[in-house]
Amino acid sequence: MPALPEYLTRALLESEGVPVVPGVMLTSAPATVAGFPVFLKAQIPGATSRKSAGLVRRIDSPAELGAVLPDLLSRDRCEGVLAAEALDIELELYAGVVFDAGSSSALPGGRLLFSLAGGSGIEARAGSLTEIRFPLSSPPSPGTLAASLPDAPWRASAADLLAGMARTFCRYRLLVLEANPLAVLRGDGRVLVVDCRAEFEDRAVRNGEEALFGTASARAGDSTRLERMVDAFNRSDPAGTAFFRQNRGAPAPGAVRVATNLCGGGGKMLWEMAVGGRDDIFALNESDTSGGLSAFKSYRFLRAVLAQEDADLLLFTGSGMAFQSQLNIAAAIWKALRESPCVVPVMVRFGGTDEDKARAMFERLSGSLRAPVRTYPSEVFPNAMVDSIRGFLEDAGAASPVPPSCPPGGTPAFEVAVPPGRFHVDGARCAECRERPCLGACPTHFLAWAEGCGPAKAEGQRCTGCLMCEAACLLDGSAGLFIELEMPEVE
Amino acid sequence: MAGILGHLAGIDDPGVVVFGITGKQGQSTTRVMTGYGTRVLAGVTPGKGGQEVDGIPVFDSCADAVSAVPGLNSAVFFVPAGAVLQATREASAAGIRFMVHTADGVASHDAALMREMSVEGGFRIVGPNTVGMLDTSGCLFGLIGGGASWARKNYLSGCVGIISRSGGLSQLLGAFHCRPHLPGPLPGGGYGELWGDTGPGVSAVICVGGDPVPGTTLLEAALAFEADPRTKVIAGYGETGTSQENELAEAVAGGRITKPVVLFLGGRFTEAGVSQSHAGAMIRCEAETWAAKHEALVAAGVTVVDRPDAVFGSVAGVLGLV
Repeated sequence: MPALPEYLTRALLESEGVPVVPGVMLTSAPATVAGFPVFLKAQIPGATSRKSAGLVRRIDSPAELGAVLPDLLSRDRCEGVLAAEALDIELELYAGVVFDAGSSSALPGGRLLFSLAGGSGIEARAGSLTEIRFPLSSPPSPGTLAASLPDAPWRASAADLLAGMARTFCRYRLLVLEANPLAVLRGDGRVLVVDCRAEFEDRAVRNGEEALFGTASARAGDSTRLERMVDAFNRSDPAGTAFFRQNRGAPAPGAVRVATNLCGGGGKMLWEMAVGGRDDIFALNESDTSGGLSAFKSYRFLRAVLAQEDADLLLFTGSGMAFQSQLNIAAAIWKALRESPCVVPVMVRFGGTDEDKARAMFERLSGSLRAPVRTYPSEVFPNAMVDSIRGFLEDAGAASPVPPSCPPGGTPAFEVAVPPGRFHVDGARCAECRERPCLGACPTHFLAWAEGCGPAKAEGQRCTGCLMCEAACLLDGSAGLFIELEMPEVE
Repeated sequence: MAGILGHLAGIDDPGVVVFGITGKQGQSTTRVMTGYGTRVLAGVTPGKGGQEVDGIPVFDSCADAVSAVPGLNSAVFFVPAGAVLQATREASAAGIRFMVHTADGVASHDAALMREMSVEGGFRIVGPNTVGMLDTSGCLFGLIGGGASWARKNYLSGCVGIISRSGGLSQLLGAFHCRPHLPGPLPGGGYGELWGDTGPGVSAVICVGGDPVPGTTLLEAALAFEADPRTKVIAGYGETGTSQENELAEAVAGGRITKPVVLFLGGRFTEAGVSQSHAGAMIRCEAETWAAKHEALVAAGVTVVDRPDAVFGSVAGVLGLV
């Protein structure tokens, strides 16, 4: 789960009126602060045990500040340094709020945790936690919380703070919100948050609140370039979700490196059980698609899968049977294979609506591919496909170069915005086309025929991004239609 | 029609309103549902009240639809993830008692609030992130089958109740129990035909979805099949994350589920703490691991298989077909 660094968590808490230790964020050196001593705390997303890692330092003088600040700012992924006032603390407490998914017999909600044992040492605290469950629709009030706190001078202040934490947790739909320690100040008994962190779901970040949760690159953490690419087109084309995670491990010597695609959520598990525990097959990635992806988006996803280096094979299978048209997916696979610079043998299984037609269409289309292809019926499961990998690679012939029928370039004849695509029409080829199969293949009558030019955009109709027109054009027409599907640029 | 919905939500005669009916997926899936036999009586799209989709009247709000169309008690939603919670509130306030949420990417807090609302309000939610539910007595809610004729051809009446956290495996486990002469691993070893011209068929398919907070859990779906007289065997797909399989094991061990259960359990090699394509499959504690669930299920008497095609042979064995 993405984690929020302290300074962003403080901002969330402050928006709900939760008191935090006064501090200022320093993003460059040299810098000055109002007074000493202060604690300098490097702000690095996901960093834990900051004290022992030297990321939290007490500073007593301007000279010390000048010496330490540049070092902290130079740490990897450091977003700045928080200079927080050093306080006269009487007592350190612990508080956290965590999401509880519930069960068949218990409602989901929040769990507020509190302990008199704040500061470092989670093990010592585990036995002393007070737990207060609450429904997300009604976070606990200070009065309710006060009844669960010890009778101490700071009780009311702590109850206010805990109630503010619960409100913050609910307002921003966090999974974890932790304040450790909470400081009870000597003298007035006020309670403040000294240090804090949060975890959240990307899906819970509302439009307009993205900046509160840090930069996209920080949220991405250790994401690879291709993972960020998939994330980028998930955001720009939100219909349906593509999940893509590359394997951080290393293949065993001699292992077949397999790029996988469109396995489905259950299929991801199925695939894992087919290759897990064996060292002769190395899955380069996990993948999943869910929801109503267009073929345009499936194509983009497959291009990312095929962009993985050193793949020996592409294995495509749905998780079982998909509700999405397998014909559309067949067209997406064909197009991605045709346009990807990566040419590797391909194993494909279709499962779901029109699976037999999809398989037949893909086999016809595969004649235009450079890569050797083997298709499977839906009754052949991924485990059986995996078992046949070695044999297939031994039997597969060499790749053959085939020039694309209509390379992209120039000004497109027309475009669609959602899902995004540019239609190029080779007028000379289309003028000779008598069958005009692209028109019949379009399920929404988005295409009309412009005499002497070829397919054009029909007024009032929309493109669903199914790619059936382009596939039909190649199979039964003049190969004059090409849909350019741009891949997002990522850092 | 007294189908699985009667046991899930106390509804014997579902009348459906489709939220987002004028959108691309709403329109196409409504055709699948009506083509399968589902009584879709109304649609809701704010700002498009007064229109029709395939003769189905569209209203600006669910309250308007319920006022104008008698018999509405169920809803299928094709709305963006961020709008799901509000749509649930609207449907609940209008008196809808069964809801299917297909959206992926619903925030866990929203799903939790929906679950809270449904339990306290006495209505039933399936999803989010589900392909829906299909009853072979002629009712389809959501996306299962992809096409009406495909669904009719591939999902035939029978005695197997399907529960699953995966859309693809929901559909596969349902359809393959209906395929004639299906080959697969035999219970006693070897590989061969599991049945002849007629498979065991399915009573219904319930996909509970892959999210951390399902509106209906695997156990609740299984209990509906336990009460369904058509169902002789419960078969399905479970995985790591959440406590759903653990609860199912407890229910089988405790005698709340007495019908045989066959489960393909995924995630044997899933690492704890790593995000999964199913958000609900992420392992957050020891009890959510494959090993812990496997142990609990086997100890309870559930037949747990490690490959999906082994489900069919196990079911055939239970039914005495092989």
